[in-house]
Amino acid sequence: MVIASEAGPSKSGREKEGSPEEKDDRTFECNICLDTAKDAVVSMCGHLFCWPCLHQWLDTRPTRQVCPVCKAAISEDKVIPLYGRGSTKQEDPRNKVPPRPPGQRTEPENNGGFPGFGFGDGGFHMSFGIGAFPFGFVTSSFNFGDHHHQRPAHGAGRGMALLDEDPFVSKIFLWVAAIFIMWLFYA
Amino acid sequence: MANNIAAQRIQREFKEVIKSDEVAKCAIRVELVNDNYTELKGEIAGPPDTPYEGGNFVLEIKVPETYPFNPPKVRFITKIWHPNISSVTGAICLDILRDQWAAAMTLRTVLLSLQALMAAAEPDDPQDAVVAKQYKDDQEMFRLTAKHWTAKYAGGPGGNPDFEMKIRRLTDMGVEEDQARVALSSYNWDLERATEQLFS
Ligand SMILES: [Zn+2]
Ligand SMILES: [Zn+2]
Repeated sequence: MVIASEAGPSKSGREKEGSPEEKDDRTFECNICLDTAKDAVVSMCGHLFCWPCLHQWLDTRPTRQVCPVCKAAISEDKVIPLYGRGSTKQEDPRNKVPPRPPGQRTEPENNGGFPGFGFGDGGFHMSFGIGAFPFGFVTSSFNFGDHHHQRPAHGAGRGMALLDEDPFVSKIFLWVAAIFIMWLFYA
Repeated sequence: MANNIAAQRIQREFKEVIKSDEVAKCAIRVELVNDNYTELKGEIAGPPDTPYEGGNFVLEIKVPETYPFNPPKVRFITKIWHPNISSVTGAICLDILRDQWAAAMTLRTVLLSLQALMAAAEPDDPQDAVVAKQYKDDQEMFRLTAKHWTAKYAGGPGGNPDFEMKIRRLTDMGVEEDQARVALSSYNWDLERATEQLFS
């Protein structure tokens, strides 16, 4: 134990030593493959992974779903996909959708045309989760009945609070949003 | 695919670990055994203020194809007297090498965890029951025995003339040296009982 705690400070010291460029790269490395995260997702405890990597980890230990970094409880339906500008340019994100979690993450119609995100390319799939903070919570509440997991005690961030709101209220919001989208399309 | 991740990750980890502070301080070391990154040799310096101080402990690290989703298989090649490590096979009882493994752990964290285990044994979750019993019943006897093993197998400092003499008595009777050491260590260096056990 003594040794491990001694190693702590020296580790952070080492990470500061790297060139700024190297350090920046490492910030966006997947915690499993140690490569730059592809199809990135972030857990509620804030740890970054490639979706395929995290999926394989959860698959390997179906009875013990914990974060590979901090061991907080995690689950497939409570990871947030990250869509960076660079990544959408390089590859059509729709190609990346199939391996992502089912349920709310593949519900395209409900988030398709949210304002502030381009309709032009018809990227229904890709629009999920970006910039549309309220929608994240709407779609999450979709699966409330059957996918509810205990949330990790210390992993509850600001956004988590929304997930706990009354599903009924959420559904109303959903319908309002849907009507709004329809209006945008046909106006 | 899985194999690919394993090799790629070990490659990255290897680069990381050889640049680490702990390597600079000679606390840990990693060496490649083959070109396809499936087997490595680890080395841990015995932690200070333990019977392992001054010793250098070599580990066999086998990387499974499913790494990092499953832990590496690690065992001590250097013989060691420790409640959580088999004095015969070098097998290790450590939770992170079993069900508490997490995919973000690395060779570096494994080696540092092992070093921490050397500094703080867990006799209630033993790998070697005989060592664990001694550890609980007679701390001083344990310390002397572990120190003797460190001197003998890990290049640690100091000898123990009394222990050496007893081993020689047994080897003179045709007992193989390592076997004599295990028997004597197991019986708190009671020559009579160790002899009895060896010749029964
Ligand atoms: Zn990854
Ligand atoms: Zn985490």
